[in-house]
Amino acid sequence: MKSKLVDLASAASLIPSGASLTIGGSIIRRSPVALIRELIRQEKKNFTVLAYPAGFTTDLLAGAGAVDRVEAVYEGLFQFGFSYNFRRGVESGAIDIRDFSEVAMAARFRAAASGVPFLPTDAMLGTGMAAHNPEQVKEIVCPFTGRKLHAVPAAETDFTLLHGYTADEYGNVQFPVARDADDLDPVMAKAAKRLIVTVEKIVPHSEIVKNPNLTYIPHTWVEAVVEAPFGAHPLSCDGYYDEDEEHMYEYQRLMKEERFAEYADRFITGPANHAEYLAEALSPARVFELSVR
Amino acid sequence: MTTLTQDYTTNELMVVAAARELQDGDLIFIGVGTAGRAFTLACGIPIAAARLAQETHAPNLSIYWNNLLSPDLQQIPPKLTQHYLTTWPTAAQLHNCSDKNDMLSRGMFDVSFDSAPQIDRFGNLNITAIGDYKRPTRRLIGCLAQTDHFAYVRRPLILTDLKKRTFVEKVDFITSAGHLEGGTSRIDAGMRPGGPSRVITDKAIFGFHEETKEMEILSIHASSSLEEVLAEMSFTPLVPDEIPVTQAPTAEELRLIREFIDPRGILLVS
Repeated sequence: MKSKLVDLASAASLIPSGASLTIGGSIIRRSPVALIRELIRQEKKNFTVLAYPAGFTTDLLAGAGAVDRVEAVYEGLFQFGFSYNFRRGVESGAIDIRDFSEVAMAARFRAAASGVPFLPTDAMLGTGMAAHNPEQVKEIVCPFTGRKLHAVPAAETDFTLLHGYTADEYGNVQFPVARDADDLDPVMAKAAKRLIVTVEKIVPHSEIVKNPNLTYIPHTWVEAVVEAPFGAHPLSCDGYYDEDEEHMYEYQRLMKEERFAEYADRFITGPANHAEYLAEALSPARVFELSVR
Repeated sequence: MTTLTQDYTTNELMVVAAARELQDGDLIFIGVGTAGRAFTLACGIPIAAARLAQETHAPNLSIYWNNLLSPDLQQIPPKLTQHYLTTWPTAAQLHNCSDKNDMLSRGMFDVSFDSAPQIDRFGNLNITAIGDYKRPTRRLIGCLAQTDHFAYVRRPLILTDLKKRTFVEKVDFITSAGHLEGGTSRIDAGMRPGGPSRVITDKAIFGFHEETKEMEILSIHASSSLEEVLAEMSFTPLVPDEIPVTQAPTAEELRLIREFIDPRGILLVS
């Protein structure tokens, strides 16, 4: 095994403008937010984003004008409301949106994970998602039963970006035992062409081998691993810290008024790196309040 | 039969009406809601209804809430931030999304609770976009699993407040395919049998006509009237010659809701 440990800026520099990205996590939980902030800092743009439920990371990219196309099951910020930047992007025609149901989008990630070009599904028969997206939702006939189905294409992207809990320097990423119901991160990881994982903490390899059953992303799938404590902030990282409600409500107040530039000045492009972001966004007292360990 | 009482809220009436649609042995899907009325409609009323059914005619009913199978709903945490959900130690199983998707498409769910900003005559829902899909006047939230519920769940229930801008002749975009254009159009499109079974609102309860699949009034709440119901709809549903009054909760049902199911008042919040 060789070390894949790099810093955040080096990891982001692997990703060129125009790339397609699968972004893991879920709405306001355990997404690679620090890495997305770094992409914006490096002025990368013209991304296509694939997600299961998209959320804060997609909204940040939309705010920066860095996303051209989104394929996902949902875009919003759950209890914090609408995803205003994304919404403005779609309403103005700047973002090409392709909606998929949860069953259909999961099938797309599974197709990519198992190396087949498509999977059949009957989840979207009769819907607008099928009617408006003939290039990605194609009617087929089951060769065994004659039933009408849709073929949906494998969710293949240039890069897959995930945030996790702990990993060793080789990129063996582990779950904690107590965690929320898992989203599709393990499937996305397996589906990845080039996988970059940020984690809360890099631990010695000896810690990983104590519980190999907790490794959900093995080192052979990973291109780069980054230590990014509070790397999902202001979102939650289950088992580590809760969502930062104050930060999110303030974010939403600004986004509703189209004040992304102001937010970016303070929290994205202003800070030179993740350490400076943490100093700006989190007081020691706030770290203590949000931590759940 | 326990003596009927008029001393109940509209939410309690909606709980009882929903509970009566649930059967013993059902597996019920309840989604997530945010706060206020949205929480009451998406989570509060469905949870109370499922619990009431368990305590009365459906002891073998199972509840799947969020990603939790058979959580102990007597101990709902005070907050529903990530940490409280992660550490609420009362569910029989914590499913991942792949399991839930497979359970849906395998046809394991009997009932789901759904709602939308637009619902049409044939029970199609729109939670995706108002206006033109590619250049909408208002982009909404996407699809989530509401599409999958209408594709796979046997008896989806629509639970929402009756509003003119919600109940439209034709949805701008079909996120969830209900009875499509009515008649046999759902089956003709290759979909599985099913589609929404009831629409439970704050003023009336609707079903879908057996043949035409048009929305039809089944009963109107004692607190409302046909005039008021029609005034809150942009299309005219089928109206029977004689409209029953929605069956009121019994004293025992009210006691169960108030003293046992929601004694802290966290389900029926607004």
